[in-house]
Formats: sequence, C-alpha cells, structure tokens
Amino acid sequence: MNSLTDNAIMLRVKDGDLDKMGLLFERYHRQLYGFLFHMTYHREVSEDMVQQVFYKMLRYRQTFTGSGQFIHWMYSIARNVLKDQGKRKQLQMQAGNAEQLADQLPGGITPEEQLEKKEARTGLYRAMEKLSDDHREILTLSRFQELKHQEIAQILNISEVAVKTRAHRALRELKNIYINAER
Amino acid sequence: MKCEQYEELFAGWINGELTPAEREKLDQHLIGCAGCREELAAMQQIWDVMAEVKAPEPSANVRVKFQAMLDTYKESVQDQKSNWDGIKEQLSRLWQWQPRWPLAYSLAILLIGLGCGYLFFHTGKGAEQDQQLKELTSQVHELKQTMMLALLENPSASERIRGVSYTSEIKHADKEVIDALLATLNNDPNVNVRLSTLDALTHLANHQEVRQGLIQSIVQQDSPLMQSAIADVMLKLQEKRSVKPFKELLKQKNLDPGVKEKINQTITQLI
Ligand SMILES: [Zn+2]
Repeated sequence: MNSLTDNAIMLRVKDGDLDKMGLLFERYHRQLYGFLFHMTYHREVSEDMVQQVFYKMLRYRQTFTGSGQFIHWMYSIARNVLKDQGKRKQLQMQAGNAEQLADQLPGGITPEEQLEKKEARTGLYRAMEKLSDDHREILTLSRFQELKHQEIAQILNISEVAVKTRAHRALRELKNIYINAER
Repeated sequence: MKCEQYEELFAGWINGELTPAEREKLDQHLIGCAGCREELAAMQQIWDVMAEVKAPEPSANVRVKFQAMLDTYKESVQDQKSNWDGIKEQLSRLWQWQPRWPLAYSLAILLIGLGCGYLFFHTGKGAEQDQQLKELTSQVHELKQTMMLALLENPSASERIRGVSYTSEIKHADKEVIDALLATLNNDPNVNVRLSTLDALTHLANHQEVRQGLIQSIVQQDSPLMQSAIADVMLKLQEKRSVKPFKELLKQKNLDPGVKEKINQTITQLI
C-alpha cells in the first residue's frame, strides 16, 4: 500500500475510494502545514487551512487528471486557499511573533550558541515578515519545501527562467533587510 | 553592466542546481569580480541561517479534524447518492432521541453562573460571601468533571469527543479523570475519539501517571493512525522510556510499513 505513488492514490480517491485520502494526508499534511505556516506565521490559521486544502481536494477530486504531479496540484489548491483567506480578512502577521517563534525551536548546545542561534532566527523571521508575498512564497518553496526550480515553475505556472530571476531577487531582498536590521 | 547576466545563475548556485557548464561559467566570472563574490557569499550566509528556522509541528488536532472532515464528507456523499435511504434514516433517528447531555450541562453551568452573579450583588459582605463563591466554583468544577465522565460513556462518538475536550477546562485533573481518559485511549472503538484523547492526555503529560499510561498504551494500539500519532507525542515529550515498547511494537507482523518506518525514525531520534 505504501509503495503506491501519490498519483495512483489520488486517482483512487477520484474513483470514489475516499478513505485513501487519509494516506495522502499522512504523507503531506506536515509539508503543507509548513508551507502555510511560512505564508501566514500563524499556527491556528495554518491548521485550518490544511483542513481546507484537503477538503477542496476531496470536493474537486474530479479536476485531478493525473497528468501532473499530485503535490503540484496540492500546492495550487493551497495557494488558492491563501488567496481567498487574504481577500476575506487581510491576514495580519502578529507583532512580536518573531521572537516567540524563534523561542519554540530547538537551540544549540551551549548557552552562547543558543543565544546566537536565537538571535539569528529572530532576525530572519523579522526579515521574512517584511518580504512581499511573492518573494516569501518563492523562498519558502525553494528553501523550506526543498523544491527544485522546475517544480516551482509548475506550481506557480511561470517559466523556469522567471523562477530563477524571482528567487534571486527574493534572496537579495531578504539579505538586504536582514543586514540592514543588524546595523 | 556585465554582472547582470550572471545574476540569473545565483539562485541555482545556492540551490545546487547548476549544470557543470553553468557552474564553470559563473566560477570564471567570480574569479575576476569581487562584487559578485561578496554578493553571493552574503546570500549563501542567509541561506544557511534559513536552515535554522523550520515551521513548528502541527498539533495532533489536525489529524482528528481531518478524520472528522473526511467522515462528514463521506456521509454527505452517501446522502446525495441515496436520498430515499437518507429520509428513512432521518425518520428512524427521530425515534432514537436521547437526552442531550451537553445541553443539560450548559444549562447547569448557566444556572450556577446566575447564582454567582446573584450572590455577588445581593448577599452580605466579607468572608461569608467568599465562602459561598468558593463553594460554587468548586461545584462548577465538580459538575464539569461529572459531565465529562458521563459523556465518555455516551454511545455517540462525537459526544465522547466532546467529553474529552472538556478536560481542558478541568484545572486539576485527578486520578478519576486520568483513569477514565486512559481507559478511553486504550479501549474506545472509535479512532477519532482515541486521537482526541491522546491530544488531551498530552496536555496533562506533567502528571507522572499520564506519562506511564501513555507509554503502556503504545503496544495496545492497533490502528496505524494511532501508532503514528503516539510516536509523535513521545518524540514531543522526549520520552526515552518509550523506546522499549516501540521496539516491542516493531515485532508485530502485520505492522503498517509506513508506521514501521516512522517508529524506527522516532527511536533513532529518541536515543
Ligand atoms: Zn560580477
């Protein structure tokens, strides 16, 4: 059962074996949560959105053709959910969230190392928060979701060259914000 | 500016996606251009810092909610398929009407709340009033507990889940509550109920008997969902004593391969 590809499982769901969605949930809910979390920096909202994405995949299962990869389809739906949510209530990132988030992650070994790591993280979260959605999205997909440029191109529905240019600009912007904040 | 044409390669360089030819081309340029070298080094540095920030783990609730959503959705699809069957079922449900515990519970809380308000405004001052308020507060607490224990016995799974969720309102979980939750964790026929119980117990993990109970429960779970959820919890609690029962679980012949992999990972991370 576990050796089935994502596409094969999703096609079974499409055929009416709805329980199989549970397998896809087990495989991808963490990854999806990670993506939504970096796009909102809000835990509860991200959990709700995970739910919505899986609901939409069930509801619109007939639109899955199997010609592309399942996860690309999943990300497109997740992006739509983000868009809807943004329209509905202008998701505002919470002030002071950066420190709180940085605190929750495992630290280094010595206290000095821990402090150093925490500061670096806080700075990074602050800088990430200031990025435009497009830029944060592309960095999230390539860095945190570890997707290749070609995969990102399919998810965002743009050319691979456009992905490279955008990824470069995003990283440059992040670097500038990060460095300027340090001074 | 000649540098611009190389910038397109920066993201690929950092990502490790350049072809050997592209890499060669960029390296050649970097030898002669200090500006690009610096820029790229700074980008690499921030890329490395990014490795330090991972998204937190979603709570165990996410799984419970997903399962509930899937069940509801399946029911709604079923209903559309057989409208007539649906009507018949609805009719038969009418005959199975039972007292609504949660409603009774809300009403009781409301009444006690009103009582508190009344006392606050109308009775004498000082110690007497304090005493009465204290008594009422403890009555609310007791009622919640009684309510929760009663709900755990309810034949409907969603009512039992509701019962489990009341534990978050109980301030001091005593032995009776903990025992009831542990019994539900090990014996409830519905996996959603068991999952929410696991979540509730995780919040009470500062009690030693809860930890003990969770560890003992590992070998008792036969659903892959539960097995992997409990592995998540043990990892979160950094509970090294769970390694032994996990190894026990690995010996089971019909263990789901995905769960097996997960448990192996969990063990490695715990040791
Ligand atoms: Zn240059």
